[in-house]
Amino acid sequence: MIKVKNLTFSYSKDKRALHGLDFTVEEGEIFGFLGPNGSGKSTTQKILTGILKGHSGEVSLFGQDISVAHSREFLAKIGVLFEFPYLYANLSAVDNLNYFSSFYPREQRRDVEELLELLEFKTDFLRKPVSSYSKGMRQRVSMARALLNSPKLLFLDEPTSGLDPSGAVLFRNIIEQERKKGTTVFVTTHNMMDADLLCDRVAFISNGSLVALDTPKHLKEENSNHQVAIEYLYQGQRETKTIETRALDGGLPFEHDEIISIHSQEPTLEDVFIQYTGRGLN
Amino acid sequence: MWKNFCTLFKKDCRMLVSGKFLLMATGFLILYTAYVNLGYVRFMEKEIYNVYLYDPEGIQINVSPLVQSVPTREALDAALLEDTGGVGLSVSSGDVQVVLYEATKQIDRHRADYALSLLHPSPSRIPEQIGTNTPEQKARKEITCELLFFELSAVGFLGIAAVLFKEKSMGVIRVHATLPFQKNLFVISKLAVFLLSDLCYAVLLTLVNVGLSEGTAVLPAVLIQTAILSLVMALTGLLCALLLKDFRQFTLAYLLIAVFAASPVFLSANTAVKFDWIGFHPFYHFYMGLKDAYFGMPIMPGDYTISGFAIMILFFSVQLAFRKEMGKEG
Repeated sequence: MIKVKNLTFSYSKDKRALHGLDFTVEEGEIFGFLGPNGSGKSTTQKILTGILKGHSGEVSLFGQDISVAHSREFLAKIGVLFEFPYLYANLSAVDNLNYFSSFYPREQRRDVEELLELLEFKTDFLRKPVSSYSKGMRQRVSMARALLNSPKLLFLDEPTSGLDPSGAVLFRNIIEQERKKGTTVFVTTHNMMDADLLCDRVAFISNGSLVALDTPKHLKEENSNHQVAIEYLYQGQRETKTIETRALDGGLPFEHDEIISIHSQEPTLEDVFIQYTGRGLN
Repeated sequence: MWKNFCTLFKKDCRMLVSGKFLLMATGFLILYTAYVNLGYVRFMEKEIYNVYLYDPEGIQINVSPLVQSVPTREALDAALLEDTGGVGLSVSSGDVQVVLYEATKQIDRHRADYALSLLHPSPSRIPEQIGTNTPEQKARKEITCELLFFELSAVGFLGIAAVLFKEKSMGVIRVHATLPFQKNLFVISKLAVFLLSDLCYAVLLTLVNVGLSEGTAVLPAVLIQTAILSLVMALTGLLCALLLKDFRQFTLAYLLIAVFAASPVFLSANTAVKFDWIGFHPFYHFYMGLKDAYFGMPIMPGDYTISGFAIMILFFSVQLAFRKEMGKEG
């Protein structure tokens, strides 16, 4: 679906934002693009969505070179959720969505009210101006905007930003449903939980270069010290031991009366990210 | 393409209505009409200076009925104290002496000559009148032209920038970058909305203040000039709104345009003040084009060519700025 080879981009002569990125995103895949602020993720997304021009290297989408791909036909096949909910504040959710939807071919358009219902949007706010909405409600309308043309390729920038935990779960479910329909999803996020739960593969970008690309599971396994922490009771005393996982092959290698808990010492995706880049995401 | 244009046009109309722009324009139309009919025309009918004559011996016998006689020198001084713009003529010593409160050299000379001319009114001094406009028609056309120019260059300019700043602050311009339509339409629809509203405004302002028959006669030429100025100002407003960071910065640019660009034009076009460089001032040509349209004077074809060229340059500059805005960070 997306093929990127040796992608470089400079905003000015002495300000190179991307240093030869290489990656591919398969059809129907949820691909996470993770990096701290200023690392080049937005620049990459803007190049892929056709907003930024003037890159070098090879970029193809839907099997076509990007220069050919960014026609109106291409834009009709993609959906973009921006980091902030960009909407007309003086119009209602329905009016906003009807407006944006009218630019797409009729056969592609989804029913606006159905979409909002899917996103559990409060019905009494349907006809009220966006200026009266909370951040979470605006994010739901923005997500509906990204989905209203039944996109084949969905670009999501911080999809769960501004949502409460149940809203975040709902969004992750909706993204999963889209993938089941065959939609390819390119997610840019700071949220490691989203990346871990949603993405088939993740790429770490730091200072304009890709430093790692794999499934979240592999990345965590590769960087794991393969240890478990065991909390147990022995002769009335509460104790904790950290042992190699291999040591468990023959049962617990120490005397104990009762096991209280066993915790894997596998790193989180954020720990792995820090190991690769030397800095956190925020 | 047409369908997309209609969608954008409808949305821009809603933005205009929600921004209270039409309400403001209607308010200005009422205000201008009241000013023209209740103030300006009546004011122009008044004599420019009152002339007071103190002639105790009655030497001046053929004075104009516009001269007001006073019985004493004290009464003359009192009249001038109350009406400092007036001119006093004292013939108490045999010679005519002009008495007035000092203004500027040229105006004082004009006031004195005018007052003296009223002492000996003669039919041979009545100038030959050319042109078909009555003084009232002339006054109406002049003030309507000035008000329309002000409306287009200042108020309309502010209106379009306000709409675009609103869209810019909401970030929706960036969303349009990912929508499947020809991006030129985004700018063209805004121009169309403002052009249409300016043309309607020009029709109403002209018909109400110049008069139905006179107004209809000059309207085609006025509408052409209105369209040119409207497009230039709308594109300038769009460019400023796209290039400047916020509305505060825009206000400064607006002040620069309103004060430093418009004032010398009004001065040069309507008074005896003539700046050597005014011919290089683009607003002066736009204003004179509008004035010529109101007074039925022919417009040079070269002026249309230059205007068309200016509109094209501005349009391409706006397109560049618009594409830059679409690519900005969120």
